[in-house]
Amino acid sequence: MNVESVYPKVREIIADVLVIDESEVSLNSRLIADLGAESIDFLDLVFQLEKAFDIKIPRGQLEKNARGDLSEQEFEQGGVLTEKGMQALQSYLSEVPAEHFKSNMKVNEIPTLFTVETFCKLIVSAAAEQKASEPVA
Amino acid sequence: MRFLFIDRMLYSSASGDVRGLKHVTREDYYLCRDEQDKACFVPSLVGEALGQLAAWNVMERNDFTRRPVAGVVASAHLYRPAYVGETIVFAVQIDELDETAVRYHGTASIDDDVIFRVDGALGPLLPMKDFISETEIRHQFAEINRPGEMPALQRTSDADKQVDARGLSLVVLQFDHIVHCEPGVSISAEKRITRAASYFPDHFPRHPVLPMTVLLECQLNLAREFLARSSLAEQYKIDELRRIKMNDFVHPGDIVRCNMKVKSQDAEKLVLSFRSEVNGSRVCVMDAVLVAKGVS
Repeated sequence: MNVESVYPKVREIIADVLVIDESEVSLNSRLIADLGAESIDFLDLVFQLEKAFDIKIPRGQLEKNARGDLSEQEFEQGGVLTEKGMQALQSYLSEVPAEHFKSNMKVNEIPTLFTVETFCKLIVSAAAEQKASEPVA
Repeated sequence: MRFLFIDRMLYSSASGDVRGLKHVTREDYYLCRDEQDKACFVPSLVGEALGQLAAWNVMERNDFTRRPVAGVVASAHLYRPAYVGETIVFAVQIDELDETAVRYHGTASIDDDVIFRVDGALGPLLPMKDFISETEIRHQFAEINRPGEMPALQRTSDADKQVDARGLSLVVLQFDHIVHCEPGVSISAEKRITRAASYFPDHFPRHPVLPMTVLLECQLNLAREFLARSSLAEQYKIDELRRIKMNDFVHPGDIVRCNMKVKSQDAEKLVLSFRSEVNGSRVCVMDAVLVAKGVS
């Protein structure tokens, strides 16, 4: 399973959740700025992706993945990303163009960066984690 | 005219299994008429009651710090109305709950027959203090939280005992006026939201917002108007609401515009898609599935 293999289904689900035409969705579309997603759409989207791919995506998983090994305090202070936090985020969201990361970015602004590819990557990593945690028969 | 519909909560567990009931009586405010002019509880508000029962369990479990609000419903089936004189028994199972959201499914039954079913309901949890005081919500909970066995009831469902709607005070939840209609194709309507509406004091005291189920009932009545204007009323009946999503709150003073169009149609099934907007921004979308009359 990789980004290319999950993309067609993810694209279909995103179009369905946002009630837009599939042709409007591309791998680098930003969900909020380009496709008009709102917070409830993210909740809906994660639920639909879980169902379609038979995986579990804990809420806040994207932010958790972005934080990596950093502690919460190393990642953000007072709701604003630290320098280390910003580096970790840029490294995790490698598909997002650099100009979209603004200085003094708040944690609650992170979803504005998410693209369709971000969700494809999330599915690939969630599926891999799930497979790794399955007991060996 | 409270907008709180669970009369009694019979059972509520930490695992999210909840039971409650509501009697439908002549004293109910939200009564309407069915196609045979019999008085019944407003159909979409059966779904409201189910959601409220789920909310009571969630709020009890988080010690009344956060409350669920309307979000997404994958599917809601409406099998038949609940008539005056009947008792609705609600059963909800919370499938997932964390500090940000709840997912549940449930049924409303009369005499063991399911009259309404909700699947894949997903609601965000927001701070309680933004909506209602902790004292008030705890007081409301204490009023209905009376665990125990289901009261022994005679079979309440009896067509001969159904109450004629004529002479009763009825409520019609609908849009104010039709803006445009192309029979067989589409219809648009508007509703002005007034603070005087009966549901605002309870929904919610500190943050009055239009209940999603009220908007759904308006949309269902718009679908009925569309069927009548398209000469399709004898052909189809409403069976299911799908992919309901409330994107944003609707406040007093807003004007809701709903655009409905035929998504697909064949002899057995008609699918209508709805998009409601305030100032051009979507606030609610849903599909209504209608099936040919005579098809169960």
